[in-house]
Amino acid sequence: MALSSESSNSRKSREKIAVRNVSRSYESTQALEDVSLSVGEGEFCCIVGPSGCGKTTLLRAIAGLDDPDSGSILVGGDPVTSPGLDRGMVFQEYALFPWRTVRGNIRFGLDRPACGCPDCEARAQELIELVGLDGFDDAYPKELSGGMKQRVGIARALAPDPEVLLMDEPFGSVDARTRDRLHAELLDIWAQTRQTVVFVTHDIDEAVMLADRVIVMGADPGTVQSTFSIDVERPRERTAHDFVEYVAQIRAELGEPEPR
Amino acid sequence: MSTRTDTRSDAPVAYDFEGDLRRYLRGLGGLVAFLLVWWVGAMMTRPSYLVPSPLDSVRAFVDLFATTTAIVVPVSGSSLVLPTGLAHLTETLFHYVPGLLLGASCGIGLGLLMGWNGALDDWLRPLVRVLRPIPPLAWIVFAIVWFGIHHTGAAFIVFIGAFWINFYAAYGGVEGVASELTDAASMLGVERDLSMLKLVALPSAAPQVLTGFRTSIGRCWMIVVGAELFGAPGVGYEIINASNNLAMATSVAYMFLISLAFLCMDVGFRLFEGRVLAWR
Repeated sequence: MALSSESSNSRKSREKIAVRNVSRSYESTQALEDVSLSVGEGEFCCIVGPSGCGKTTLLRAIAGLDDPDSGSILVGGDPVTSPGLDRGMVFQEYALFPWRTVRGNIRFGLDRPACGCPDCEARAQELIELVGLDGFDDAYPKELSGGMKQRVGIARALAPDPEVLLMDEPFGSVDARTRDRLHAELLDIWAQTRQTVVFVTHDIDEAVMLADRVIVMGADPGTVQSTFSIDVERPRERTAHDFVEYVAQIRAELGEPEPR
Repeated sequence: MSTRTDTRSDAPVAYDFEGDLRRYLRGLGGLVAFLLVWWVGAMMTRPSYLVPSPLDSVRAFVDLFATTTAIVVPVSGSSLVLPTGLAHLTETLFHYVPGLLLGASCGIGLGLLMGWNGALDDWLRPLVRVLRPIPPLAWIVFAIVWFGIHHTGAAFIVFIGAFWINFYAAYGGVEGVASELTDAASMLGVERDLSMLKLVALPSAAPQVLTGFRTSIGRCWMIVVGAELFGAPGVGYEIINASNNLAMATSVAYMFLISLAFLCMDVGFRLFEGRVLAWR
């Protein structure tokens, strides 16, 4: 923290996640081919690409839920061999435990013996407030809207205080207005927690809205095509000139036609 | 698709009094119509014992509680005096309850383990395929030669019936556990298989397990009466005993009693189920 300026550039100086020459194939498809990338500490990194480009496979490999055929993945300098509490994951379809209340879901990771929190109840309360769900502590997931479910998903992943937050198209199933709000909230949370975030999406707007850096992947086989540092002050405006410019560049990189 | 908003979606639904009333009246109508048909049928049938009339049956039912009978409590060997109907129902419960509980526990236990552990599944699946189709009552011959046809033998038959229903419910329930839930749990620090079974698989399978148990409550009544027709003491035995004396109304009274006992258990268990599964 010595020479700290708060700009995102200084925060990604130290490498937090290193993916080296990772390949992974399923029966007939090459999901990942010789993928290498690195994510700095405290960096918000988005991975975009068409479906089938292996972005979810890559995220699951970083999580330790999927075993690459070759190559290595280091998180905080340690090789990833299995899931661990140093990494939190937010799932596309929430993956909440339906038989647990909001509080019960958030506490799940705190109730493992590995958790060293002095007061788990207070920690759970703090997280409920962080994601703006006070008053819904005792609600079951079925009683929540998609946006609220994902807030629980985020709080649950944050509970064991992971160093890295992995997000797999977390806002893909919520409506556009809720998504905008969740973006702002996520950036707020990130500003407070300073976690390293890897966020997978197929929505270029979303990536440019959130990321310090956007990694563009191509499909079949899944490879890293290029990387864009998004140098736009937050909060960002979708209509701002440079925002639109980045979106257009990435869209061109992906070979997608202009909308309309 | 985009109707999801950030509010709770469980808006209270206006309670439909009229619809409920209509349903109750129709149900009542069905019962009355059945009683009429039964009554007319009984009046027209000769000799009269072939179809006892509703009134005779009710009278016989009331009579079940007008006299008392002494029964022997298994294990302790002490004797217990109860109104006759209740006495025989209690006799049935002496083998029904242990058979059901033990069979359900073993079935659920094995079902969970087999559904969860691939190797165990490989080992036991062919065996299960072979044993499963045997109707529980077919085991009566072994119940007789091993235990004698008394409480233990009847409990053994009930055990087998309860075992399979609960086994399949638990097995299917665990197999259906969403992989994203186990993924989420392992990201949150669940490492051991047993913890995963307890924290994720079991609660996730709970709806199927409970439905299985509720099914077995009913199925075991059928089985227990079957076992008693071979001579184990209880309401089933009384049905055949009464009919041997051509007291068909008494047989019907015991049939009522079984139906009543089942209804109480079913309703009770549904209430319990509703509480446990409030999250659904």
